[in-house]
Amino acid sequence: MNPLRLLSRTKLYWGLALICLIGALLSPHTSSGRNIFLSYQNLTDVLRQVSITGLVATGMTIVILLGGIDLSVGSVMGCSSVICAMLLTKAGWTPASFMAVPAATIAIAFAVGFLARFVFNGLARGRDVDAGRRREIVLGPWRSFRLPALLGGAAGAVAAVFLAAQAPTKFGVLAVLLATPCFALVLGAINAAFIVKGRLQPFIATLAMMVSALGIGRLTGGQDFAVTPVYTGTNATEAFEILRSTVGGLVPMPSIFFLVTIIVFGAILRFTTFGRYVYAIGGNAEAAKLSGVKVAQVQFSAYVISGMLAGLAGVLFVAQYRQGKPDAGSGLELDAIAAVVIGGTSLMGGRGSLAGTFVGVLIFGLLTDILQLQNIDSNVQLLVKGMIIVGTVLVQEQNLGQLMARWRGGPLMTAPPRSESADIRRSPKGAEAPSVTTREELNETS
Amino acid sequence: MAPLMNDVRESATSPSPGRANQAPVGATALEAVGVGKSFSGVTVLKDVDFDLRAGEVHALVGENGAGKSTLMKILAGVHVDYEGTVRVDGRAVQFAGVRDAERAGVSIIHQELNLVPELTAADNIFLGREPLLGGVLIDRHRIIKAAEALVRRLGIDIDPDSRVGELRVGEQQLVEIAKALSLDARILMMDEPTSALSATECETLFKVVRQLAAAGVAIIFTSHRIDEVVALADRVTVLRDGRHVLTAPIETLSAGAIISAMVGRDVALTHRDREPSLNAPVLSVHDLTLDAVSSRGWRRVLHGVNFDLRPGEILGIGGLLGSGRSEILECIFGAARGWRGGDIEIDGKPAVISSPVDAFGFGIALVTEDRKARGLHLESSVRDNIALPSVGALSRFGVRDFAGEAALADDLVERLSVRCNSADQIVASLSGGNQQKVVIGKWLGMKPRVLLLDEPTRGIDVGAKQEIYELIFELAARGLAIATVSSEMPELLLLSDRVLVMCEGRQTGILSRAEATQETIMRLAAPGIGAGAGGAAT
Repeated sequence: MNPLRLLSRTKLYWGLALICLIGALLSPHTSSGRNIFLSYQNLTDVLRQVSITGLVATGMTIVILLGGIDLSVGSVMGCSSVICAMLLTKAGWTPASFMAVPAATIAIAFAVGFLARFVFNGLARGRDVDAGRRREIVLGPWRSFRLPALLGGAAGAVAAVFLAAQAPTKFGVLAVLLATPCFALVLGAINAAFIVKGRLQPFIATLAMMVSALGIGRLTGGQDFAVTPVYTGTNATEAFEILRSTVGGLVPMPSIFFLVTIIVFGAILRFTTFGRYVYAIGGNAEAAKLSGVKVAQVQFSAYVISGMLAGLAGVLFVAQYRQGKPDAGSGLELDAIAAVVIGGTSLMGGRGSLAGTFVGVLIFGLLTDILQLQNIDSNVQLLVKGMIIVGTVLVQEQNLGQLMARWRGGPLMTAPPRSESADIRRSPKGAEAPSVTTREELNETS
Repeated sequence: MAPLMNDVRESATSPSPGRANQAPVGATALEAVGVGKSFSGVTVLKDVDFDLRAGEVHALVGENGAGKSTLMKILAGVHVDYEGTVRVDGRAVQFAGVRDAERAGVSIIHQELNLVPELTAADNIFLGREPLLGGVLIDRHRIIKAAEALVRRLGIDIDPDSRVGELRVGEQQLVEIAKALSLDARILMMDEPTSALSATECETLFKVVRQLAAAGVAIIFTSHRIDEVVALADRVTVLRDGRHVLTAPIETLSAGAIISAMVGRDVALTHRDREPSLNAPVLSVHDLTLDAVSSRGWRRVLHGVNFDLRPGEILGIGGLLGSGRSEILECIFGAARGWRGGDIEIDGKPAVISSPVDAFGFGIALVTEDRKARGLHLESSVRDNIALPSVGALSRFGVRDFAGEAALADDLVERLSVRCNSADQIVASLSGGNQQKVVIGKWLGMKPRVLLLDEPTRGIDVGAKQEIYELIFELAARGLAIATVSSEMPELLLLSDRVLVMCEGRQTGILSRAEATQETIMRLAAPGIGAGAGGAAT
């Protein structure tokens, strides 16, 4: 492959390397002469810091790839942190447990039900590949509805009993890890319902949820300025401390959540039909629909996933900062969108990857770290971050070869490589216009 | 700003349209000599001569794609690069654009009206040329007054202060005419002015047109309705395949003569030899109706369509644009917008099809008319496009079978002889014909039983067309039931075993291969001709 094009394709990683290099060079040193930036402690701290944003950005990537946007993640995360903190510290049926237990019951029942149906479908199709190619296997009522419903109901009941048993006392770690994301998942489902069934624009539906979730968080928190402190060992279970520990003294727990999540969803996007459909819908929703893709179903799942991951981020926030507060995630949605965009995912949908998002999140985190190590004023930090967003995206969107040719003052490179999707995306105005006119003309309404 | 204000007042209040600079009635107002135009290599218009006299109503007729709109757009300055010469009042002109043409007194009203629905009629008429108070504020009072004067002159009953969105289409059309008059138009072109009008609205329009002609305005209009042409035009020019066929006074022509001139080309048709299919129908459609929502409320787009489709048969669906051809296919595929009525049967059993996924389950495939917007992911590879409908069926537990997808795509690329470097090539870089093959290939991977094709050769060059035809024949020979919509007569006749003809949402007949000729189809397809020209409607 042409080295220039190789460079052009991997420029994001070069950007990451460049940031690391700058960090290492600028880094202050300890009294014993060790580079602070490159210390293991510092780098794992960065990974810990970015975990919450990273989780949210993972869900956001899927939504954006689909051609949507989820503005509610910050508020949902804040609201979840309040719910989580209250479940941990308040015994009895508080507003938090009143909402979280039913929400978790419903979410788990549906999740298990759909999973069962999915498995039955897979089993049936496996036996009849040829017919399956032509038409979807229609399962009998037992396998398509009754058994999944039964299993889902059972799972929901088990969850309800388990969680309800925790309510009179305080919730344990497992229970909050189950209940809080499920609660956020329901909020995501409400988003999805308005977008898919109500045909609202994603921007508007999630904006409404962004405002409402903040309200829900404040209402749930009650007085105390809605901040619920969590002192593990005194007012909450000691075991909760595990969520902020460093596993084996090597990897911070939040980053394990983040890494596992991003790998799992990366694999889903890459290897499953769901992933293929996400890209297809983001690329051309109409064509995808006419190709038999269940657009509504995929869209619904994406917003649900985004909500659930925001809920998980809420739990990690409580663990990290030992408090739950409704506005914990203010601005988080924008950080997440910035990370996604820096990672090369197109806001128009259909183009991008979770690997890019991972790098985007890291670039953001490392940058903050470098600026903090330099003791730079936090307002200046914001300014620099803004410039980095614009700069990175600018470089992302440019074709390096063309840029270099322009700098050399020579003519632009010969025809841009057709096989590179970025070129196609940017060129349709120029390249396609004549043929479009032709079509209109040939089929004029005369 | 001052001259503009004067313009408005003058044009709006002068008793007849721009009498000052009006050529005498009967003199040549507009002349085109040897005009030609091609779009990226495809010739749309070649060596056309045309002349227009002041005070006449001149009809421009021809089939879809004959070049009528292109000619109009050249004359009105929409297209600025063309061959040949255009003269206005004997002086050669080269318009730099529509504004330039308007200054010379040439105005065009497009089929899709160019009005802002949120603004009032008066505001629309003077949009961009508002008379100003003190150079800042819009002089609403004067706009209304001027608009009232224009409306009075046209002898029509429209409140200039009503929002255009609330007006009916016919009235909107008249607002457009008022706008052209306010520009002091001496030459007025109307592209399909009656296509969306009711009978009474047409009458009003005709009255206004005749009145303008009497005042010395030269008018060109296009129409598919031969009866309108006969009723309204002084002279007729027929175009066919981008060439001028004839120009004659209307008195010397009959409706039949106009139609023959429109379709009368030599077409070497190679019918395929095939016995009529006797198998049981795979698809039956009974009394199919569709009510679609439009800006004017519910509108019935399909009025009771009935047909059977047998395996191995190719049913052609003919008719003019907007006659409901594509809607039939979309209804069957579950992709139509609106309320569908009637029954669809697959293998004699009633089928409920409310989404493409349902249609998919019954083995129905639709190749849409607009392959770029609705058929393809242009930025994806050939392989990804072809495999997309099959991804689910090939997967197990939601995990994609990459090898299976690649094999399927490679197989289809070879079978359809799609010309590409590899299946990894981006679809946007393929030619139109090969893109069309990819769209068809998408569905063949699903082994469909019914294939619905909407304009399968739109925007494809001649050689590739032949390949698509052969492909369609081959698929039919393998037992696929095919329904195809086409605007091109020769294509319809070549492909079809039977031809279903639509006219304004109604099924006007199904012609067997023996009965179907360009003339019989055109008679059934053209509104208002059925009674006038004898009519072959059965």
